[in-house]
Amino acid sequence: MTPPPSQAAAPASSWLRSWKFWSVMGGIAALVALFTFGFTTDPKKVPSPLVGLPASSFQVRQLNGTEQLSLAGLRGKPVLLNFWASWCVACREEAAILQQAHLTYEKERGVLRVIGIAIQDKPEPALAFARKYGKTYFLALDNEQGDIGLAYGLYGVPETFFINAQGIIVCKKIGPVTPEWIRDYAERGKTTCDQS
Amino acid sequence: MINDIGYVFLVAAMAVSLYGVFVPHLGVVRNNWNLVRSAQFATILNLAFVAAASAVLWRAFVVSDFSVRFVWETSSRDLPLAYKLAAFWGGMDGSLLFWELVLAGFSAAVAYGYQRSNREIIPYVIAVLNVVHVFLLFLLLTWSNPLAIQSPVPLDGRGLNPLLQHPAMAAHPPLLYLGYVGFSIPFAFAMASLIRGKLDNDWVTTTRRWTLFSWYALTVGQMLGGQWAYEELGWGGYWGWDPVENAALMPWLTGTAFLHSVILQEKLNMMKVWNMTLIILTFGLSVLGTFIVRSGVLNSVHAFAQSEIGPAFLIFLGLMLTGAFLLLFRRMALLESRHTAETLASKETTFLLNNLLFVGIAFTVFLGTVFPLVAEALRGTKLSIQAPFFNTITAPLGIALLALLGVCTLIAWRHSSLPHLARNFRVPAAAGAVAAAGSALLGVRSGAALTVFGIAGFTATVLLLDFARAVRVRARQEEISLPAALVSTVTRNPQRYGGLVIHLGMVALFIGLAGNYFKQEHSFTLSRNQPVSVGGYQLVYKGMKVEQVANATLHGAEIEVYRNNRLVDTIKPARSFYPTQPDPLNEVAIHRTLAEDLYVVLASENAGDTVTVKVNINPLVMVAWLAFPLFTLGAGIAIWYRPRRLTETALDSRWSYA
Repeated sequence: MTPPPSQAAAPASSWLRSWKFWSVMGGIAALVALFTFGFTTDPKKVPSPLVGLPASSFQVRQLNGTEQLSLAGLRGKPVLLNFWASWCVACREEAAILQQAHLTYEKERGVLRVIGIAIQDKPEPALAFARKYGKTYFLALDNEQGDIGLAYGLYGVPETFFINAQGIIVCKKIGPVTPEWIRDYAERGKTTCDQS
Repeated sequence: MINDIGYVFLVAAMAVSLYGVFVPHLGVVRNNWNLVRSAQFATILNLAFVAAASAVLWRAFVVSDFSVRFVWETSSRDLPLAYKLAAFWGGMDGSLLFWELVLAGFSAAVAYGYQRSNREIIPYVIAVLNVVHVFLLFLLLTWSNPLAIQSPVPLDGRGLNPLLQHPAMAAHPPLLYLGYVGFSIPFAFAMASLIRGKLDNDWVTTTRRWTLFSWYALTVGQMLGGQWAYEELGWGGYWGWDPVENAALMPWLTGTAFLHSVILQEKLNMMKVWNMTLIILTFGLSVLGTFIVRSGVLNSVHAFAQSEIGPAFLIFLGLMLTGAFLLLFRRMALLESRHTAETLASKETTFLLNNLLFVGIAFTVFLGTVFPLVAEALRGTKLSIQAPFFNTITAPLGIALLALLGVCTLIAWRHSSLPHLARNFRVPAAAGAVAAAGSALLGVRSGAALTVFGIAGFTATVLLLDFARAVRVRARQEEISLPAALVSTVTRNPQRYGGLVIHLGMVALFIGLAGNYFKQEHSFTLSRNQPVSVGGYQLVYKGMKVEQVANATLHGAEIEVYRNNRLVDTIKPARSFYPTQPDPLNEVAIHRTLAEDLYVVLASENAGDTVTVKVNINPLVMVAWLAFPLFTLGAGIAIWYRPRRLTETALDSRWSYA
């Protein structure tokens, strides 16, 4: 019986010097490196392309009052622009946080304007929601076509934008805002955005 | 207590797997066949241990033992029994154990089944398989222990994700695993052949049926996944080029290429290096697929079972690929075959083209899947690759494959005479033209769809004529009736005619896929008893019904479907509320005919007794599902293929190490 031809390997030098071998090894290394990099990023985090760009202006009439407001007219003071809806559960969570920001930064110190735009909503339920959660800051409805929501590329509500005194969008927050997030921008003058 | 015993079984499985990695090599070095036999036995014992550990987990599911954390995470008391059993693979840890169970079963079958053949390489086949066992068991014993205990014991479980409570979901993951794991058998044989330097075609012939079986499981697994997405996710389609879907498609593509190219090695001794490469890629992509599904490095809608084992999978993948390609390059000089296709017009050429197309599609899918990560690594930009990219590139390649399938069947091995070929082309080409023209007359306006129908008509005619001719010849030669000749034709060459049936299934699948070129999507609000017309149907909303189905409360909108003023169906798209879930799920309602599906999703219930619905008219979906029975029949026939004689040493039972 013939012994198994297990020693019949090619001379090591030949294949170790072939470019094919090293390209395959390089490919494997690149693949592993790529996915290792993948561990360091979260694919669920998608930045808004609007960050760093001028906030698009809009004109609205106040829901809980009679004021007419144009966003462009607020240039000179930072704006906290919040999108919400009366049917939105997470908006209840952040209602008190926004109201507190309004009291502290807008009424007391006058360093910020807080605006809430309700999307896909009707005046009566929106007003009822505002009364129930004690919102006293400027509230308005988006129009029937939802033009403002489209201009700001909303995924859903709540979403909140911080717009600086020059009218540039500094950061966007998807989901309920936190007091820390607001404080970072309104008080500490943060200019970067950890996007979520 | 009993769960601790399950863990002990896993430890025991680890011990015998480690034995199975090292002892076969010792047997070869010491020339002692008994050592090899002991490793075969250890591999069979491994199945017993893993099966026992799995039984312990299944028991915990059945009796709702929430002291087991995994059971608490994926089950609840109100879950129907069938889903309790299927919740085994409803999360990461359990699916890993399930993978190990399937692999243990297959490995035991290999250890038991090849005691007398393939003696030269079988020690290393056993060793390679056990390396995979050690990796999986290592994960199961450390980060991913499905039998981990928690205290205090919760009163009820968190419940299986309602999206997964669907019959197709009970069968889809196990079938994918059967496919993934199945490909590790030819992979192990390939690696063992490389290690031993036994570079003839025995590994190919021996594993031919494993490959077929794995291909079938992977195919059906994917079709069931598509069916689940279609019925459960409610976006109106069955394939969305999501990374997780792509992850299962890539090994299927290279595996299908492998399935074809090994025929060239068997028949003509060609493509030896290529076949090794393909099986390494197929197994590698199976591991990569699992990695993508579990690690969460790519964004997906199917991220049902993510966990922390991503890095471990990546290390395993890197080592596995490096080791496999090192082995391959070491033997490269011996593998390279001098045989090439003789003329351009030969069956060999069509096989080469087939492989180019399959691998081309696989590469496209791979690129589209990982490109967002590449872009972020190199440019820091986030982007996502959507269906248009994949469709633009893969659709023409796929249509080329469909045409090639017809051409390949017509053309002869070695070389074809062109006049003969031209004569054989006439009838199928005419049939294709008729199919395209007929579809146009029936109102199909999409050029792409008409192209597919034309080519499908051509290829289907080629296949059916080929079969009819073979049956007629057989009937004349053996002087038997046509039905008897049909049976005799198929049983004499099951590989060829099983393949033919599968190819007919492929034609059906393509026809069904082409339906996507002319589907319609509408959305409107229905008031009670006021008919609305859509795509030849009239829909009449009759009112809301609330009912309890198993563990869910269904809010269904009863809608009557009329066609030509005749009531054809009453459907009930619904939103279902599960006690364990905060948000309702959509229950799609589908009125199916062979020509098209009327697919209705309840978007919202409005005030004033109106409902808003999303309606899709999806043509030819049933034709695509028709591929399923054809694949099953074809694979069932082809699996009866008996390999041709192995080489002397492979069969020689006297050959021993003693």
